Amino acid sequence: MEINQKHQETYQRFHVLHRLLHIVIIFNFIFLAITGFLLHFSAFGWVSSIVFLMGGAGAAGWLHRVCAVFLYIGILVHVSWLFYYKIVLNQKLSGPDSILPGKKDIRDLYQNLRYVFNKGTPPLFDRFSYLQKVDYWAVMLGMQSMGITGLMKWFPEFFTGIFPGYFINIAAHFHFHEAVLAVMYIAVVHMSDTHLVPDIFPMEKTIFTGEIEKTRFMEDHPEEWKREQVIKG
Amino acid sequence: MFLKTRRFIITGGALIIFMAALYPTPGVATNTPDLKPAKAIEKHVPESLTPEPLICLDCHRTPNIHTNEGVIASRSFCYDCHKEADIKKRDVSKDINLQITPDIFAMNQPEHRFIACINCHTDVARSPHKTETGATCLGCHSPHSEGPANAPHLRITCQACHFQSKFVRLDPKDHRVKLSHIDYDSVPIGLSDHIPTDITDEETCEKCHFKKNPVGAPAAVLPSKSALCILCHNSPLAMGHPVFGLAGLIFLAGIFIMTGFWFKGSVKGEETSLHRKISLSSESIWRTIFSKQFFSLIKVFILDILFQRRILKESVSRWSMHSLIFTAILLRMALALFTAIGFYFNPDGNLLTALIDKNHWFTAFTNDLLGLFILLGIVWAVVKRFIVKPDYVVTEYQDNITLILIGSLVLLGFLLEGARILVTGIPSEMAAYSFVGYILSRMFSFFPFDWASIYPLMWYVHGVIAAIFIAYLPFGKMRHMFNTPLTYFIEAVDGVKNEKRV
Repeated sequence: MEINQKHQETYQRFHVLHRLLHIVIIFNFIFLAITGFLLHFSAFGWVSSIVFLMGGAGAAGWLHRVCAVFLYIGILVHVSWLFYYKIVLNQKLSGPDSILPGKKDIRDLYQNLRYVFNKGTPPLFDRFSYLQKVDYWAVMLGMQSMGITGLMKWFPEFFTGIFPGYFINIAAHFHFHEAVLAVMYIAVVHMSDTHLVPDIFPMEKTIFTGEIEKTRFMEDHPEEWKREQVIKG
Repeated sequence: MFLKTRRFIITGGALIIFMAALYPTPGVATNTPDLKPAKAIEKHVPESLTPEPLICLDCHRTPNIHTNEGVIASRSFCYDCHKEADIKKRDVSKDINLQITPDIFAMNQPEHRFIACINCHTDVARSPHKTETGATCLGCHSPHSEGPANAPHLRITCQACHFQSKFVRLDPKDHRVKLSHIDYDSVPIGLSDHIPTDITDEETCEKCHFKKNPVGAPAAVLPSKSALCILCHNSPLAMGHPVFGLAGLIFLAGIFIMTGFWFKGSVKGEETSLHRKISLSSESIWRTIFSKQFFSLIKVFILDILFQRRILKESVSRWSMHSLIFTAILLRMALALFTAIGFYFNPDGNLLTALIDKNHWFTAFTNDLLGLFILLGIVWAVVKRFIVKPDYVVTEYQDNITLILIGSLVLLGFLLEGARILVTGIPSEMAAYSFVGYILSRMFSFFPFDWASIYPLMWYVHGVIAAIFIAYLPFGKMRHMFNTPLTYFIEAVDGVKNEKRV
């Protein structure tokens, strides 16, 4: 069984740029989460001893900001790739290949819930399933609000010139609670809906190798597979 | 069916309410760590308010200047005398006014208005009421390196630049530039008003940097080093001067053109689409990095690139000549990068202060030695090309340009160092470690030129040549420092992989 899978025909699903950006996001996200939570829960004794090993609260804060900057650079590179994709490569950003949510996603969700309760067939996903779209937009939108609230905490002198002072406190609360949300989302939803799927367990490698095996392509993204066959003729 | 669902909803709702009730409400969940200091203060305050008998220690005491009470107590003790209009220091020719009131101080230095006087004037609260060290800034502030001020400014006290007073002097005892208590006509002046100056304004630099200044400063205000200078010097992440910015832009454009040239050839059979070429080659780079071949690339990097094994196999004399230039520049760059990054993280450490100090024995000696190696390598190459002229050496005009650029850069660097040592008047036991520069400075001292005026000129020539050198890197002979390693890497991955044509 394993040998068969190894020698299967594969298709490219992700370009190098997207694999690279995914790795950038993994590393920076993990370090941001570690340093951020260490700084927030500084009242606990064991936290301060770990922060001491990192070089003190100042160094942990510095690391947090550096990771934030690199993470956001990753997002900017991704956005500029979208422009490149649209303008230079002349491709469509909407349509069946798109990551933009559409009516089909609601239908898929409904059909999938029916399937989960044994009331029908599984939905036929296109290039991105509704869960993958939620994964993408959770990061994409979450990083914008984390970025804005983080900047407000980073440069309070500038932002209190625009907003009243209590906005900094509000930003601090949003920043922390959304961090909890983001970490919970990644640790619970993203990890389980990618790696813990029985067909894929123990590890989903597509985002790292960029390749998807033929059988998984046909099973997980049947609509895209169909279109691919039509284009091939 | 319907009933079942409703029962389900009711049980679920009840469960949620039960769970929510278990959650500690804000009124119950107190943050104990926050309360501790508050309690401590509450306990402490009534004690200190109890009346005490008048004893010696009421005045002669060491207030804790890290508390607000201590700051106010200690300051009121200073202002008790210094707020009076007739507080004067008697000098030979003229009385100097030493008046300073809390209001004037708070207006001139709003940042320091809640700081005790003795926090900075550490050694005045004693008899005789006279300072030896002056006001200290580095207890709280970290020194700055290249960028805002160049390394020779390490021997200048903070106040000499950051205070408004126009008169400075060179203290012969510790060889540091300080604010002077007399003006240039030897009339005593008061400094008690504590007015800081706007150091972003270049005019403030001109209180030292003018012709025939008494502190040994070059006659013109020079820009800071640029990020491009990191190739040989510790430098800030700044442009420094528009010339460096232009050179940096040309350099980047050259890299861009060079990379574009690499993709002119076919990549794995793809001839036309640049997008396809980039994605194919990046795909194979990705596969190489995440494979066992990565280790062979590290081997190639260490042996063939750092230690130049292939040149050594060809000829020992060529390897020696090339390594004198290449390894010395590489080491200087490694030292400069270490200094720049290290200083960013630890500006107060002794090690990094030594590394940014051009006059420290280690920094002075290392940089002079490595510079001399580069110069020797250049001289060797010149001798081989123009005097010995063996058959296998083919000299192109590009080689000559490169040799002239690097040679004149290093030569001017040494001349500059000599002039700097002469102008700033560094004591010879300190300057002797920069052995080349020191010898040159002794030689310069025989010529009665105005070296303080020549120094800025030489600096600009050195800077412009450096800018030309950087801008020329991706165009001329020096392009080999990008092309050759890449060729080695591609060969190591696959001897005949015709993925990129170089």
